[in-house]
Amino acid sequence: MILAVLFANSVGNVLIERFNGVPAEERLHWRTFLVKLGADNLKGVKNEELLVACHKSVYIVYTMLGDVSIFLVGKDEYDELALAETIYIITAAVKDVCGKPPTERVFLDKYGRICLCLDEIVWNGLLENTDKDRIKRLIRLKPPSEY
Amino acid sequence: MAESSGMTLMDLISADPTPVPAQSTSSSASTTASQPSPASSSAASHLNHPMSTKTTLGERKSKRATLMQIQNDTISVAKAALNPVKANIMPQRQRQKKKPVSYSQLARSIHELAATLDQKSSQKQLVNHVFPKLAVYNSVDPSLAPSLLMLNQQCEDRNVLRYVYYYLARILSDTGMTPGGGIPTPNWDALADIDAGGGVTRADVVPRIVNQLTTEATNSEFEFHARRLQALKALTYSPSGNSELLSKLYEIVFGILEKVGDVPHKRKKGVFGTKGGDKESIMRSNLQYAAMSALRRLPLDPGNPLFLHRAAQGVSFADPVAVRHSLEILSELATRDPYTVAMTLEKLASPAGPLQDILHMNDVLARVSLARLCHSISRARALDERPDIRSQFNSILYQLLLDPSERVCYEAILCILGKYDSTERMDERAAGWYRLTREILKLPEAPSLSSKDKSHKTKRPQPLIKLVMRRLESSFRSFSRPVLHAAARVVQEMGKSRAAAFAMGLQDIDESVHVNAFSDALDDAETNENSHPEGIRRTSSISAGPGRNDTIASLLAALMEVVRTTVACECVYVRAMVIKALIWMQSPDESLDELKSIIASELSDPSWPAALVNDVLLTLHARFKATPDMAVILLEIARIFATKVPGKIDADVLQLLWKTCLVGAGPDGKHTALEAVTIVLDLPPPQPGSMAGLTSIDRVSASDPKSALALQKLVQAAVWFLGENANYAASEYAWESATPPGTALMMLDADKMVAAASSRNPTLAGALTRLQRCAFSGSWEVRIVAIQALTTIAIRSGEPFRLQIYEFLYTLAEGGVQSQLSEMHLSNGEDQGASGTGLGVLITPMLKVLDEMYIGQDELIKEIRNHDNANKEWKDEELKKLYENHERLLDFVSMFCYIPRAKYLPLGPISAKLIDRYRTKHNITASTGSTDPAVVATGISDLIYESTQPAPAASNSSGLDDDLVNAWAANLGDDGLLGNNAPAMSRVNEFLAGVGTDAPDVEEENVFSRPSVGYDDMWAKTLLETSELEEEDARSGSSSPDSTGSVESSISSHFGGMNYPSLFSSKPSSQATIREEPPPPYSYSEPQSRESFENPVAGSGSRSYQSDDEEPRKSTGTRFGTALYDFTAGGDDELNLTAEEELEIEYEVDGWFYVKKKRPGRDGKMAGLVPVLYVNQS
Repeated sequence: MILAVLFANSVGNVLIERFNGVPAEERLHWRTFLVKLGADNLKGVKNEELLVACHKSVYIVYTMLGDVSIFLVGKDEYDELALAETIYIITAAVKDVCGKPPTERVFLDKYGRICLCLDEIVWNGLLENTDKDRIKRLIRLKPPSEY
Repeated sequence: MAESSGMTLMDLISADPTPVPAQSTSSSASTTASQPSPASSSAASHLNHPMSTKTTLGERKSKRATLMQIQNDTISVAKAALNPVKANIMPQRQRQKKKPVSYSQLARSIHELAATLDQKSSQKQLVNHVFPKLAVYNSVDPSLAPSLLMLNQQCEDRNVLRYVYYYLARILSDTGMTPGGGIPTPNWDALADIDAGGGVTRADVVPRIVNQLTTEATNSEFEFHARRLQALKALTYSPSGNSELLSKLYEIVFGILEKVGDVPHKRKKGVFGTKGGDKESIMRSNLQYAAMSALRRLPLDPGNPLFLHRAAQGVSFADPVAVRHSLEILSELATRDPYTVAMTLEKLASPAGPLQDILHMNDVLARVSLARLCHSISRARALDERPDIRSQFNSILYQLLLDPSERVCYEAILCILGKYDSTERMDERAAGWYRLTREILKLPEAPSLSSKDKSHKTKRPQPLIKLVMRRLESSFRSFSRPVLHAAARVVQEMGKSRAAAFAMGLQDIDESVHVNAFSDALDDAETNENSHPEGIRRTSSISAGPGRNDTIASLLAALMEVVRTTVACECVYVRAMVIKALIWMQSPDESLDELKSIIASELSDPSWPAALVNDVLLTLHARFKATPDMAVILLEIARIFATKVPGKIDADVLQLLWKTCLVGAGPDGKHTALEAVTIVLDLPPPQPGSMAGLTSIDRVSASDPKSALALQKLVQAAVWFLGENANYAASEYAWESATPPGTALMMLDADKMVAAASSRNPTLAGALTRLQRCAFSGSWEVRIVAIQALTTIAIRSGEPFRLQIYEFLYTLAEGGVQSQLSEMHLSNGEDQGASGTGLGVLITPMLKVLDEMYIGQDELIKEIRNHDNANKEWKDEELKKLYENHERLLDFVSMFCYIPRAKYLPLGPISAKLIDRYRTKHNITASTGSTDPAVVATGISDLIYESTQPAPAASNSSGLDDDLVNAWAANLGDDGLLGNNAPAMSRVNEFLAGVGTDAPDVEEENVFSRPSVGYDDMWAKTLLETSELEEEDARSGSSSPDSTGSVESSISSHFGGMNYPSLFSSKPSSQATIREEPPPPYSYSEPQSRESFENPVAGSGSRSYQSDDEEPRKSTGTRFGTALYDFTAGGDDELNLTAEEELEIEYEVDGWFYVKKKRPGRDGKMAGLVPVLYVNQS
C-alpha cells in the first residue's frame, strides 16, 4: 500500500499531501520526517534523480522536480522499486500538466489539474493508471480508451 | 504546522493571478507570496462583515455566519492578493481590489456559479479558479453537495464535471477523521449540530449523492460512458463501514462484469490495451477496467465463489490495469485458499494460456502479483496431490527470474527464497535456500518444437542460482539508489534463507558443489525420463561435474565482493542495507575482520541517523536468533557500535543483546562472550579533538559531550554487566564452590591461594582484575559500580575469591580512612596507597556484610565443634537462632545483589543440614523470605525472546548447560536489566516480526535546550576564569598540546561542573539512589581525578567534585520557584515535575535549572534538571 504522497516546496512547506492508512497522530511525524529528509538530502540533487530511505518495514522514495520535491512512502508490495515506478509516473504527469519541470508558481497555478492527475494515479493507496495519455484523458472526463 | 502551511499554501495559490485567456484584465502586480500583512487586516475585517448578498441558499445564512465565525477563530487562513477575475464576475458585491480567498468564499462561489451556470464564464471560473483552490482543503463541506449535484445534473462541461465527481468523492470519503491531507477544515457534522437551524450534515447529503452516482453507474448509454466510469469510481470512495452501500456496489460491479466479463475469443498474443478495435469492444474493455478497479477497492470476500469467479475473469481482459487488479485480488485469495484458486485458474496456467501471456504484458505490478500468486499456489500443501498444477505455476514463477524489470525479478527471487511476508517459518526459508541453490529453470518448449532439440542454446536449462547471481551483480553496477537498496535487501533475504538452511542442518547444502552438475545430471536424465515440457528437475544427489569451475561458494564470494564495493554509495540508507546484507551473509566460520572494519568506518560517519544505527543493531538480534552460534561474533560487532556511536544507540537494546548472546553462547562460549562485552573496559579513552584512529576498531570515539556521556553510561553498564554475570560465565557459585570455605580459609598463603584459584578459573580471575582496575581508575560512576560489582561477585562466589575481593575492598577503604585520619596524624611521608579513591563510605557497608558472613561462619564452626565435642544435640531454640541469623544475613546480602534464597547459605555449606532440619520441623518453605522492598526478588523472565530457547523449567536436554539451568533455577538471571528491558524486549520482538509502519522520530538536535558545545567554546569559557586556572589550562583539553586531553574538564566547565550535582551532595543520599544522580563529567585517567577531586567525605558541603576554578555562574543564593507545568524527564539527569510543585533552584545552565524538590516524585528523585521555562521563579 502507498502510505503517503507528499509534495513540498523548497523551504519545506507541504503543498499536497495524501495519506492512506495512516492514523492522524502519525501524520505529523511523517511530515516532519519527510521534510527533514528532503532538507538534508535534496540539495544539489539532479532533477528527477531518485533517492531512497527506509524505516522498519516502510520504504521511502523521493525526488526533486523543478522547485518541488515529491515523496512517496509505501509498504509491502510497494517497495523501493515499485515506488520508483510510481514516482516516475507522477513526475511524468506533473511535467505534462505544467509543460516542464515546474517552478513553485507554475505548480500552484496548475494545482487543480495536478490533484486530478494524482487522483487517477493513486487511488485509495494503490497505483492505478500508469499511462500518461490515459491519465490525461481521464482528467478530462474521457474514457480510458477512446474510440 | 498545518496552519502555517495553510497560510502559505492558500497564499501562494492565490497570490499571483495567472492571466486567464478569456479575461481582459489581470493584475500585473507582481505579488510574491510573502505579503500577507496589508491584506490580512482588510481580510479580517471583511470576514467579520455579515453576509449582505443574496445567496441561492439564503436560509443558510445563519449557518454560514457561524461557519465564518468559527473559521475565523480556529483557522487563520491567509489572505492574498486580489483575484481580479472574481471581481469582474461579481461586480455588484465588492469593488475593492484585494479580495481574500477563504474556504467560505470558495464555497459561496460554488453556490453562486452553480446558479449562473448558463454563463460560459461561470464554468471557466469554476474550472480555473474555484475548484483548484478548493482542492487545497482537506475536506469539503457537505452543504456544497446540493450545488455539486446540481452541477452534476445540469452542467455539460467535461472539466466542470470531472471536478464535481472529484469533490463528490471527497464528501463520500470524509468520515470526519482527517482524510487525505491539506489544510484542515472544521468538523462539518459537529458544526452543523451547533446550528439550531438545522445544518447540513453528511448524513443528509450522502444518500442523495449515492443515489445519484448509483444511477449513473448503471447507465449504459453510449454518451454517458465516461461519466459512468467516473461515477463508479467515486462510489468506491465511501468508507467500508456502510454495508448497505457496499452490497449495492458489489451488485453494480458484478452486474457489469456479468455483461462484459466473458471474453468471447482468446486474446491474441501481445494485444493489450489496444487502441484499435471497434467501439463496442473498446467500451467493453473500459467497463472491464472500471469494474475490476472497483472490485479491487471493495473488501475481499474470500469463500465467495462468485467473487472468485469474477476476479478470475479479469486475467483474460485486454486492459493491463484490469489484469493487474485481477491478479492482485487472486494472489490475496490464494494466500487463504490456494486450492480453490488453483482449480479456478488451472486451465489458464497452461503453457500457451493467458497467465503465460502476462509474462510479456507491460505492467510491472501485474507481473509482481503473478509471481506472488504462483508462489502461493506452488507451495500449497493442499495441492500435494496435484503436482502437475504446482509445477505449472512453479514454472511461471521461475520464468519471472528472467523478467526485464528488477522489481519483478526480485519479487520472484524473494518468493523462491521463501520470503513472502515476515511470518514464514524457518523450514520454509530453509527450503527456499535449497530451491535457489539446486533448482533449474527449463524454459517451456512450445508444443511445435521437437523435444529432442537440445542444441538450441536458449533452451539450455539454467541453474537458478546462476541466473540470480548474474542479475544481482548487474544490479549492483547500477547508479540508481532504489535499485541498489533493493538489491542489497535481496541479498539480505538470501542470507536469512541461507542461515535458516544451515540452522536446520539440511543435507546437500554443501556449497562446494559444482553448480553445473545439476544441469548435467538433467541432461543425462532427460533422455531417460518422461518429462513434462516445463518440468523442473530436482536433483538430490550430487555428481561432481567435470571441468566446470563454478561452485556455489565461489558464486557467492563473487557476489559478496560486489556487494562490499557498494558500501561506497553516497546514500546512507543504501550503505545500511548493504551492511545488514553483509551481516546476514556472514557465516560463523568466516573471517570477521573485513566486516568489522567496514562497520567501524561506516559508523564513524556522522551522517548516520540514530534510527538507522539502531536498525542495524536490531539486525544483530535477529542474526543471533537465526544462528545462535554467532553469539560471540555478534558481540564483537556490537562492541563497535558501543565504542563508535555510543550516543546514538539504544542502550537497552545493546544490553539486551549482551545478555542474550552471553546466555546463548552456551557453556563453551560464555567466557569469550563475557570477554567480548567487557573488553571495552580495556580500551583507551577517547581523545577529544583527535581524529586518529577514528575508524579503527579498537579506538573509542566520542566527539561531543552527548556521546561522551553516553559512552560513560555504557562503560558503567559494562561494569555492571560484568558484576552480574561473571559468576555465570565462570561457573563459580558460592553454594557450589569447588573449595569449601573452611578449607580455603585454612590455606596459609593468600597469594598462592589466589594464584591457584585464578588458574582454576581464568574467567573469574580476569573479571576481578578488570574490576579492580576500574575501581582505581575509572570515573566516579565507574568506580562505584565497580565496587558494587566486586561485592556482588564476592557474595556469590566461593573461596578464595571472596577473600581476595574482601582484601581488595579493605585496602581501598583503608586508604580512604587513612586520608581522613591524615588530618589528625602527621604524615610520615609514606605513600598511603589507594588514598583518595574516596570510596570508603560505600565500601564500609559492603565490608560489613562480608564481615558478618565470615563472623557468622566462624561462630557456626565453633558452635558445631562445641556440640560435637559435647555430643550435644541442637536444641530447637538454638536452631531457631541459627535460622533467624541465616535469614537476617540473607536479607542483608539481598540488599547488595540478587541471590537465590533457596540455595544460598550465608553461614557456609555446613549450615545446610541444620537449616534444613529447622525448616522441615517448622514446615517452612525455602523460598519465602523477607518482603522488604529492598530485596530484589523477581524471577527470571524470558531471557530469550521466544520459545526458541528451551524453557528453563522444562525439559533439560542433555545439551543444556547445567550451569545455565543452575542460573535459571536459581533466578540468577535478574540483574535489574530485564525489568528495565521490557521496552527493549518489545522493540526487538517488533523488529523480528517485521512490523512497524510508524514514522521515525526526528532527531531534535536543534530543538533541545542543551545543544552540544564545541570545544572551542568550552575553552573560551575557561579563559574567563582567573589566573588560578593556569594549572587548569594544562588540563582543559583541545587547545593545549601538553594536556593529557581528558574530556573531563572541558565538559565540567560546560555543565557548570563546579556546580554540577555530585553524588556527595550535602543531603545524604542512600546508596540506592546514588546511581540516579547525574553523572559528573566523563573522566578516565587517574591523575586527573585525583587532582580535581576534593574529598567529599570530608564534608565539603554541596559543592563537591569541584576543580579549583571559580565558576562565575555559581548561584549566589538559593532561589525558590514553582513548577508551571508538568514535565517529563527525558534523561537520567532530568527531573519529573508536577505543576505547582515547589522547587528550590540551585543554579542555571544553558536554559536549564538544577532544582531540588521538597519531596521525591514518582521516580524517587529529588533533584535534577528542568527547563527554565517550566519554572516560575518567586
